[in-house]
Amino acid sequence: MHIRHGWILALALVFSAGPALQSEGGVAAQSSTFETPSFIASVGQSAGAQQARVLAMRAGLEFTFEARPAPEMLEGHETLIVVLGASTKGLGAAGVDVDAEMAWATELFERARESGMSIVAMHIEGGTRRGPSSDRINTTFAPMVDHLIVKGAAPDQEWTEAEEANGNADGLFTTIAAEHEIPVTYITRTLEAVGALQQLFGVEGNP
Amino acid sequence: MNVLGRESKPGPAVLGLAAALCVVCVSAAFAADAAFQEARPAGPASHDIRPGYGVTEIRWLSDYLPTLADTSGDTPVYVMEGEREGGTLLLLGGTHANEIAGVMAATLVVERGAVSQGTVIVVPHANNSAARYNDRTRHPGTPDWIELTTASGETRRFRYGSRRTAVEDQAPDPEVFVHPLGGEELPGSEARNLNRNHPGKADGTLTEQMSYALFRLTEREGVDVVIDMHESSMSSRLAHMLVCHPRAMDIGAMAILDLEMAGIALKQEVSQEQFRGLSHREFGDHTDALAFLVETPNPGQEDAIEDPDVVNHPGAPLSGRVRTHLRTVHAILTSHGFTVGPDETIEMEYPFSLDALSGSDLGTFFR
Repeated sequence: MHIRHGWILALALVFSAGPALQSEGGVAAQSSTFETPSFIASVGQSAGAQQARVLAMRAGLEFTFEARPAPEMLEGHETLIVVLGASTKGLGAAGVDVDAEMAWATELFERARESGMSIVAMHIEGGTRRGPSSDRINTTFAPMVDHLIVKGAAPDQEWTEAEEANGNADGLFTTIAAEHEIPVTYITRTLEAVGALQQLFGVEGNP
Repeated sequence: MNVLGRESKPGPAVLGLAAALCVVCVSAAFAADAAFQEARPAGPASHDIRPGYGVTEIRWLSDYLPTLADTSGDTPVYVMEGEREGGTLLLLGGTHANEIAGVMAATLVVERGAVSQGTVIVVPHANNSAARYNDRTRHPGTPDWIELTTASGETRRFRYGSRRTAVEDQAPDPEVFVHPLGGEELPGSEARNLNRNHPGKADGTLTEQMSYALFRLTEREGVDVVIDMHESSMSSRLAHMLVCHPRAMDIGAMAILDLEMAGIALKQEVSQEQFRGLSHREFGDHTDALAFLVETPNPGQEDAIEDPDVVNHPGAPLSGRVRTHLRTVHAILTSHGFTVGPDETIEMEYPFSLDALSGSDLGTFFR
């Protein structure tokens, strides 16, 4: 696909009517703690990684995107952003299974930590990425990150969106966050991740 | 009445062809179901489609593969050319003729849509053989026709067809079906499934010929975006899904986020290389087009529902499913527009808000 210059500006326009990050619903106030350039990758090869790429553009982050990078590609980046969630089709397209994906992601995390990088995990596809394969990934890698962005209900939040859109209906991520003392930002709609990223990275959106 | 507010109107030839089609359509549409079953006519099935001012030319699929002419695989191709040059969209309904929301969404585009930039080519009955009658192999409780009442009180009838090419048009089925490019063994009846036979074959089966003609259309018309509108069962994981060719994932992601703002939650998936013959894979692999497939939930494909109401089911009314399809088309075109130059965008509009379709009396939006 040939992407023309200036389309980021256009993206800003199309999403300009998007909802602002809400203070209610479990979004914790955060001062900026993460640095760019960041590297966005997928753990589980779901389509959420492409959505995260669009969200990061909208947020105005400086980033590199590669769904399944070689660990060496992290060099020169300050923060690793991983999008959690297994897709059978995505894994199939990458020619790997869940076991191979987890082995690769473990290496990726190790390289990130060796390089002194921070790690942010995003779970933004709701209940669609809460099956057995996804949860192997979620429960393995979510505890290893410095911040979680989760599309799902915060504790005591009444969920008003479609049930399937709730990635935290059983409180999995709340439990992980509590047990490992990981700050978590809950969002109700995927687009709210734009504000969450801006807050975490201390950046402003594209004009 | 020019409800679309356009200055240009279709020429006499277009109107003549449209009128002829309507005459054939109406006569066929009101044929008794039993008689129709007994004497299934040769040649393409006719449909009650009433092209609006947005249609600038009507062709046949056989224009792209002459051997299809006068077969039940031939089907009308509606061309909607905007006043400004731009990109080209190929919009397919009725690849599976029982997945009625895609058929009705395509029909509504033909009847009420207007293209301001670029060209939109609509094929409401991509597998017209499958539209001849409902073989009920997918669900025994589904109807032969659906009826919608227009704003003027007229009752219009639309065929509820089958998933596959009619047996009479392509027999016998092989014992097993394997796509020529490889992949898993499927039941032999899948040789009649248009969405397992892309990119088709010029001298192949009728289903392969239909596919081949669609691919020649795509190449000859320089199609930039292909959207194939489907339905699944309500409980299927496919329901509410946008499947994208790998080259189209970015645009798909943008569209998904755009749709979320409209309260439409679609899942996004990438098409897999090992599952051959599907439109979102093969149009993307064999043409320059960006390929998408949209799935809405159809109660008529839900085994757990004994007597499904495919129009007014409260959990998945046809009006809402048509809205989802057309909203998704709009979101894809909008996102596509951000990735190409201003002279390559495709813009289509309607004389009503697409959101007004949701929960509406769908027939009132047709002509």
